[in-house]
Amino acid sequence: MTISIVRLYHDLMGTYGDQGNAEVLIHRAKARGIDCELIEVTPHMPVPTSGDIYLIGGGEDGPQTASLRMLQKDGGLNVAIDRGATLFAVCAGFQIIGRELPNPDGGSIEGLALLDAITIVDDSPRSVGELVIEPSVAGLPVFTGFENHQGLTELGPEVRPLGRVISGVGNGFDGIEGAWQGNIIATYMHGPALARNPELADVLLANVVGELAPFEDEFANELARERRATLTAK
Amino acid sequence: MSKSLRLGVATAVGEFTGLASRALGRGRGETIAGRAILAVDSGAIKKLAAGRDIVLVSGTNGKTTTTTNLSKVLEFGTDEDVSTSKFGANMRAGIVAALAAKPRNRYVVLECDELYLPEMYRLVEPKVIVLLNLSRDQLHRTGEVRKVAQLWHDTFTRDDVTLIIDRDDPFLEYAVANAGHVVRVTFGGRKHPDAATCPQCSELLDWTAGDYKCACGLGSKLATVRGERALSGPARNSVLAIEAARLMGAVVPIEMVQDLTANPPDRVVENVVAGRTVNTRLAKNPESWRNTLAQVSSNNVILAVNARGIDGKDTSWLWDVDYSALVGKNVVCIGERRRDVAYRISVQGIATKVAGSFEEAVALFDDQPIEAVASYTAFQDLAAQQMGLNVKTGGRK
Repeated sequence: MTISIVRLYHDLMGTYGDQGNAEVLIHRAKARGIDCELIEVTPHMPVPTSGDIYLIGGGEDGPQTASLRMLQKDGGLNVAIDRGATLFAVCAGFQIIGRELPNPDGGSIEGLALLDAITIVDDSPRSVGELVIEPSVAGLPVFTGFENHQGLTELGPEVRPLGRVISGVGNGFDGIEGAWQGNIIATYMHGPALARNPELADVLLANVVGELAPFEDEFANELARERRATLTAK
Repeated sequence: MSKSLRLGVATAVGEFTGLASRALGRGRGETIAGRAILAVDSGAIKKLAAGRDIVLVSGTNGKTTTTTNLSKVLEFGTDEDVSTSKFGANMRAGIVAALAAKPRNRYVVLECDELYLPEMYRLVEPKVIVLLNLSRDQLHRTGEVRKVAQLWHDTFTRDDVTLIIDRDDPFLEYAVANAGHVVRVTFGGRKHPDAATCPQCSELLDWTAGDYKCACGLGSKLATVRGERALSGPARNSVLAIEAARLMGAVVPIEMVQDLTANPPDRVVENVVAGRTVNTRLAKNPESWRNTLAQVSSNNVILAVNARGIDGKDTSWLWDVDYSALVGKNVVCIGERRRDVAYRISVQGIATKVAGSFEEAVALFDDQPIEAVASYTAFQDLAAQQMGLNVKTGGRK
């Protein structure tokens, strides 16, 4: 089988290295004999509605707003996610898939409303540093990443967080981090998140193909282990 | 204490502290000497800069090399001694130490950290500022590239200095949009990897054949100086340095210009590790890794990556670099974040090993030449080790 991975606007939303998430997914899928096609969506190109996994990363305020406007005008991402495609959104990407987010020029703007979440800014300092969380789904190890964001995100009552914060800031409300609602997973973790947490990459792949064959990637496992050990030892 | 006496005491204390620091093997002394001077006289920078002809060099990549290069060209072209920054010390302490070293020299070339540039511009009243380039670097500290461009944009609003910029860089064009005197050097235009949107208004930039424009008015401007197309990053910086030297009154012969652009100075240091020569280049962000990997010619390559403050604490950017130049080579990853870079390149299909140190890495190679690409602190630690100084050890394995 072939799964199609759609990377959205990585020129705009790739400031913090999140485009590596696509490479990790492809690497881990191919190791299981699953073919992948990578579709790069560039500005003003229609967003395909038939993709399996959509990826959107972190970017600066201006590019974030520009991306949001294009996705709203295009409508393809909302069609795909409503159809059941998987979405993995990081940082600024997490913020734009919510219902509301800060307008860089003041006030707030409407998001894509794929996720019941609202992002605000207050006068608290930017959240920058290593982030460690205990996932809210049993059977997964501690996740680690690097956060670098100004906004604070409050989840709606029906949305499960990705995890509970062990150290770092995360969403900035209730000691939780990220969101996990049906086929949508969102997080503030860079690293890229899927490189530092191979189990999370496999959650996304399993969403599409069902149960995955085991895959022990020495370099991935060593990296995940080293980060977890170093950051939980403090 | 009178003002001049206080300054005299301050510089004497600085000199002594710098010597003591070096003698104790605690570093090269500039930063420590500078701190001591500022502790005695907090106004020392302004006083030591008064009446001198100063050039500031700033930008993401090439500051240290360009500062050294420019000071040499200026010395040659003016036949005068030039005071300059040493070893990349580019914040308050490093700058005051450079100013204090030979306070009677008329010419001074100072390297300046991007975020300190507004303060130093006001304090030292430079004649010329060279802005080399802006791209992603140390995002945990600067937040965003455009924030640096905005900071400079808000700073350069008068006509009391001449700014020299690479006009192909939209962030620099925005940084100098309100400035009075700008010398624009073009290298034929090239798309900036971090400037998909406009630094001024955040709309999508319209890029055509390396030039850009935006509905808000920002766009590629007519250049004063035309450099050759397709020059490397270090060669482009050489061209900017030569322009600065000329503006300061230096006579730069054409042979020197040709040599500096054909063989631009690059920070390659010949280190000896466990009896083997390791030619080491500093690379600290996506753009400098791209430039550096393109120059690696040996078959044995060490990649040394740390993530201490100055390296950028987030290593995600390793995924923005194309490592295909390393395909087929023997690669060993070292440093505190060797596992991040090893996994990254393994996903790109490059065979690699990891090792705990330069010494361990060297032992894994055949007799062929060895090159290393090192992040900032890995590069500094190796340099310090070569000088026999105490080195902060490389963290847990």
